[in-house]
Amino acid sequence: MNQLSPNLSIQPLAMDNQFRYTDEELIARFQEGDEQAYIELVNRYRNKLITFVYRFVNEFEQAEDIVQDALLKLYTHKHYYRNIAKFSTWIYTIAGNLAKTELRKKKQRKVTSISQMGPEDRDYEIPSVAPDTDEAAQSEYIEKTIQAAIQKLPLHFRTVTILRDIQELSYEEISKIVDVPLGTVKSRINRARLQLQKELIDLK
Amino acid sequence: MDRYQFEDAISAYLENELSLSERQAFETYMNANADAKELVDTIRSTMKSMKNLPVIKTSDNFISNLSRRIEFEKNRPSKKIVKRPSKSLFGFTPLYAGLMTLLVASFITVGVNLWPVNEKSVDIAPAFTENISETPKPASTLPTVPPDSKTILTAANVDSADSTVDKKKKYKLDDKVKFVKDQH
Repeated sequence: MNQLSPNLSIQPLAMDNQFRYTDEELIARFQEGDEQAYIELVNRYRNKLITFVYRFVNEFEQAEDIVQDALLKLYTHKHYYRNIAKFSTWIYTIAGNLAKTELRKKKQRKVTSISQMGPEDRDYEIPSVAPDTDEAAQSEYIEKTIQAAIQKLPLHFRTVTILRDIQELSYEEISKIVDVPLGTVKSRINRARLQLQKELIDLK
Repeated sequence: MDRYQFEDAISAYLENELSLSERQAFETYMNANADAKELVDTIRSTMKSMKNLPVIKTSDNFISNLSRRIEFEKNRPSKKIVKRPSKSLFGFTPLYAGLMTLLVASFITVGVNLWPVNEKSVDIAPAFTENISETPKPASTLPTVPPDSKTILTAANVDSADSTVDKKKKYKLDDKVKFVKDQH
């Protein structure tokens, strides 16, 4: 297999017919040794994955590390993918699992420091950016408020609501990613929306 | 439809997944309750806001960092160690196979040396049973003890492995003591 040159990735792709290939065809090509296919998959998914992971962990640098880990796993474990599921499902599952693991570690690290906080420090503060007439500032306020509200959701609600309402994946795909039945996914999404609504009461 | 059924059906209503009759029941409840209608409107609005959230983009050095990590992963020394050698004996490397054989052989040798030999055990058993079933010797066969007390005490302190023989000796010594007393 050719070595992946650091310069190769940032150059325009040499694959002329890149847009004709589906994700599944690209991973099949990559499994056969075509590293250009890997680069194309990275370029297709890096922003989708970081949006998902950032909304989940709420820290950009940490999110970027997690996405890199996921894409590195794609490189080192490419033969683990079997063409029975969609590629997107597989890569979202990897990224989601890594994000959950990271959040658990983070939670464990925080246990000691939280126990030393006063009760007034424990509440998550919704950003106090006052609504502005300026459209950009207003969008920023909405984004921060929604992001803060998402962080208050339990992990199993957070995952499904990000995948559905931000990533716009189908219920079937979400069901495969989180590995729970379709009915449970629908129920979780509905409950997550209701809970989110209570957190966003000030946004009306 | 009650409040719980209404709340359970909100997402299905907003995503057009209710049947016609379910939808009619939902809308009837919603139109009859102002707060229910408000709840549906705000959830719809939040869903729209979430869909319009900006796409987060990776940093400029994301790809170069990833390439560096891939290069490092390829050249990682531990990977070379993990690589299984082509020659193996029952799944072990020649070195480990040799060490395992040596270990097994030493266990067998030590085990054989520690195992009791049958002939010895045959010799020991009759001797043991003979001692137990031995009838006490008559007093006349015991060696003659001088009639002074020192000799008697020395004789009494003589230890014996066989407790039955010891008892018999004591018994005989008691006789002697009585005999000495008689003499005095």
